[in-house]
Amino acid sequence: MTATIRLPYLLDFYPLQDEKYTRIHQFFTNLKVGRFTTTKCRDCEKLHWQPRAVCPDCGSENLEWVDLPKTGEVHAFTAMLLGAPMGFEKDLPFVMALVKLDGLDFKILSRVDGIKHEDCKIGMRLKFKTVTRDDGRVFFRFEPIG
Amino acid sequence: MRKVAIVGGGLAPFGVRQATWKELAQEAGGATFRDIKNLERKDVDSLFVGAAMPERFAFQSHVAPMVAEQVGVTPTKVITRTELACASGQSAIRMAYACIAAGLSDIALCIGVEKMNIPDPPEMQTSMACVLDREFDGVQGASAPPFFALCANRHMHDYGTTREQMAMVSAKNHHFSTTNPFAQFQKDIPVEKVLTSPMVAPPLRLFDCSGITDGAAGVVLTTAERAKEFTDTPMYILGSGQCSMGSNLANYKSFSTWFPLKEAAKEAYRSAKIGPGDLDLAEVHDCFTISEIMEYEDLGFCEKGKGGKFIEDGKSDLGGKIPINTRGGLLGTGHPLGATGIAQAIELMQQFRSSVPRQRLVDNAEIGMAHNLSGAANVHSILIYGRNPP
Ligand SMILES: [Zn+2]
Repeated sequence: MTATIRLPYLLDFYPLQDEKYTRIHQFFTNLKVGRFTTTKCRDCEKLHWQPRAVCPDCGSENLEWVDLPKTGEVHAFTAMLLGAPMGFEKDLPFVMALVKLDGLDFKILSRVDGIKHEDCKIGMRLKFKTVTRDDGRVFFRFEPIG
Repeated sequence: MRKVAIVGGGLAPFGVRQATWKELAQEAGGATFRDIKNLERKDVDSLFVGAAMPERFAFQSHVAPMVAEQVGVTPTKVITRTELACASGQSAIRMAYACIAAGLSDIALCIGVEKMNIPDPPEMQTSMACVLDREFDGVQGASAPPFFALCANRHMHDYGTTREQMAMVSAKNHHFSTTNPFAQFQKDIPVEKVLTSPMVAPPLRLFDCSGITDGAAGVVLTTAERAKEFTDTPMYILGSGQCSMGSNLANYKSFSTWFPLKEAAKEAYRSAKIGPGDLDLAEVHDCFTISEIMEYEDLGFCEKGKGGKFIEDGKSDLGGKIPINTRGGLLGTGHPLGATGIAQAIELMQQFRSSVPRQRLVDNAEIGMAHNLSGAANVHSILIYGRNPP
């Protein structure tokens, strides 16, 4: 559970997640049950990040949901110590990393919970987790393994 | 295609200004017309306004006609705003260049303006963070300092670049800005002070980062043919290049090499028919110290991975291989997003006129580059300027 500060919609980083607002609502529905997924094109086999409504390579809308690896390693890291946007001030300081997912080329930017930046290293192993805000919206983060 | 020249320009002082967005635009307009003796406001047929996010910083949209009224012009050919985040100012020049080259405009005014200091800093930070992919990267905390910190972390790992080398970029540019009365920061910041300033996003500290700045700048473009009607010292556009690759960070090929910069540079050099060795000076986008180091490399001023050594050896200082950011760069003068690219053009024009203070003058400079990156360095924009016609 992560505390929610109610902000006007256009100052809030967290996307609206249900089917009324987005064609990738399945991504968020999957996160809620602990699945880390994205879209893959059935026509050209392109794996997308972020999840898509339309394949950027071939224009197809014939996409399927596939699971992503839930482990990876730190490709690069930093932290936010000063200068937080609205809604993040109470979270300072927090670590962020480009996470190279096992077996894929993607390096997804994610917050990394449960570690200080002084203890971070390139190559460090990480695993996927989800966070749920008290307004019910969900997102993913990573945390060190072990 | 018609050849194009910049015939003059002027600045509003950069800093934490006790002035509104509109008033900054007025100042830049006034300074620009004062610089160009034979130009009357009624001669301007087009206006391009570089502004990254007036909706956020000044709660104002549809700003181009507002600027036209503020500076007293009545465009009859082309009027628009150009938005490309940190490169919005250069975009205004590029679009004016294109329109004049194509014959859609004969005399175009470019005004770049940004008012970034607002009473609530977290709201300003929120606005800055939405320059990146807000839904998938911004939500994770990504904004400019963390992104460039990730590049620094990876560049240090891949090439052995040091904290001291990054600090030297800041010290050099702050030293140049002591000669610039339009700069936000006009004091020397020595290397030790950079290294002990508060940590913002490790490994980047406060003085590795450019400021939050209010400011404005203006230039006027016309055909090379007509340029001498307005000034004895026009600055000609010799070439340009621009490249955009990706947006979400997951789709980047590298964080220690900026591939879109290499592509933009290749096209800029090709179109200007020069190589990096022909440049006498350059204004490059030092939003963070690591940016300038990576730009030395990816613009071809030195070998890949040797950017740290390049600053350490003084090659980017006055008297070095290629003096970089003589007006003080973004680190020294501040970075009002829409104004920066235009302020860079003014510095090169004043260098060609030998009208900058002696302490930062590059003697007999004939060819210079202005480079801007924007967002998370996924877009790079380059213009090459010359003292002599192409
Ligand atoms: Zn496809």
